[in-house]
Amino acid sequence: MIIKNKVVERELHKEQKLMILMVLPITLFFFGLFLGGPPSEMLAGLKKIMLSPTILVTDFLEVGGIGAAFMNVAVITFFNLFLLWRFKMRINGLLIAAVFTVAGFSFFGKNIFNILPIYFGGYLYSRYQKIPMRNTILVVMFATALAPIVSEISFAGILPAPYSLISGIAAGILVGFIISPLSAQMLKFHDGFNLYNIGFAAGIVGTVLTSVLRSLNVTITNMNTLYLAHHHTITLMLAMFFVYLMGVGLYINPAIPKSYRIILKYTGRSITDFTLLLGYGMTFFNMGLLGLAALAYITAVGGVVNGPVLAGIFTVVGFGAFGKHPKNCYPIVLGVILAALVIGYDLSSTGIIITVLFSTTIAPIAGTYGLGVGILAGALHMAILTNVGSTHGGINLYNNGFSGGIVAGFLVPILDAFKKGED
Amino acid sequence: MKHEIKKISRIVDELTTLFLKEDTNEVDFSIKILPEQTRITISAHATHFTEADVEQLKNILGAQRQYEVEEYYWQLAGECDDIDHELTLVGAMVDEATVEIKEGSLFIELIRYTK
Repeated sequence: MIIKNKVVERELHKEQKLMILMVLPITLFFFGLFLGGPPSEMLAGLKKIMLSPTILVTDFLEVGGIGAAFMNVAVITFFNLFLLWRFKMRINGLLIAAVFTVAGFSFFGKNIFNILPIYFGGYLYSRYQKIPMRNTILVVMFATALAPIVSEISFAGILPAPYSLISGIAAGILVGFIISPLSAQMLKFHDGFNLYNIGFAAGIVGTVLTSVLRSLNVTITNMNTLYLAHHHTITLMLAMFFVYLMGVGLYINPAIPKSYRIILKYTGRSITDFTLLLGYGMTFFNMGLLGLAALAYITAVGGVVNGPVLAGIFTVVGFGAFGKHPKNCYPIVLGVILAALVIGYDLSSTGIIITVLFSTTIAPIAGTYGLGVGILAGALHMAILTNVGSTHGGINLYNNGFSGGIVAGFLVPILDAFKKGED
Repeated sequence: MKHEIKKISRIVDELTTLFLKEDTNEVDFSIKILPEQTRITISAHATHFTEADVEQLKNILGAQRQYEVEEYYWQLAGECDDIDHELTLVGAMVDEATVEIKEGSLFIELIRYTK
């Protein structure tokens, strides 16, 4: 029975853990500042980002420029870390995953305007249920997956101003209000085998909202705004940040080179909180390692590191604290790559790169059932993903979480039914 | 607290599964709901768990209560029967845990404050 390994590492206070994470927005802030040009240009870029419909796929690096996009991410990440500090949260693996996921999707889809109504909806839910806001903050952070609904209704010309703005904000508040009970319920569908559970819940909410809009003869048009230039400075900055994470991990727990293989024994199924099971040193090291692996893959296939790809990388790194490790990720990745090759997709295209990265949402399937099933799950994920996007019209940013939920909900009961065993 | 009885039932469900799958064929449970706390006591008779296992259980069940994890994941407790155990989740749903072996039986007492 593997429950928890004995962890010997340097003790860290909550504030020190927050400071380790705070390096992320500080790095992004100065990176944006140096590459962003004059302040007026950056402000204009930020305005463009906030006024865009942000529906899938709207790359903020292209919409507002590199400086404004990085500034948007830095501000949103600061805001979320401030909330964790304000609510005195224990910095666990899930919160680390949430911070990195929100940060990543702030490169394409989430901005300072469209996330706030969702937080307010979460606050109203906690007041309604008479529970502290800290209980729901985690779900609400992830729920910003549906932030594009706020921007789409507000700025896509569906309604005349100012009704559009009021309706957009109201939709965001509604999402924040209903997402907590929904996300808890959706877990049972995939039994924790889909790490981006909110992506599945958001896919359901997005499908309902999009269907209502479509029944009112509203046309939701998908976007395809992508930054397509190779910017090696971004890759270099990311590589340095991931080396920093690994360095911090080694500082906290110098025995990692000898003990790292322990992490590979975990299936990754929710809840696999590495901060609790293996300590912060191992967690940060694993996150950095996964980040470098993701960068190496993108470089190898000649992909562009743009907004969606950055979101993919950050999400993989974030969930390196909550379930993902190289051993349970690679079979899924292999399955997606094989399926893409069979279908004839270009591996260097942004669409395939982000599918490869986000497909690791179902890494626990490979962690539990092994290489063969992992490859099958990855291939199935690729097939389903290409069909589910249209159901929610691109307003659910965690489209892979939606697809991953379907894959897990479909495969796991079948695998369990035919598994050998007495019970 | 919302769904309080269901949450307590799921904690019991998870631990019942753990002991019957991994340890013994005789388990007693007692649940006492008081105005400010719920007390769950478990006795797994003729336990095969070692002191090392007890130490692991102490660490994981005695971890800090995490309300945000409970709010998000409580419905997963007791869901899976033979893959992983959701002891991290149980640890996140209780405030105090006592784990010890006495006369060949494993005793666990879990306290969950309701306010």
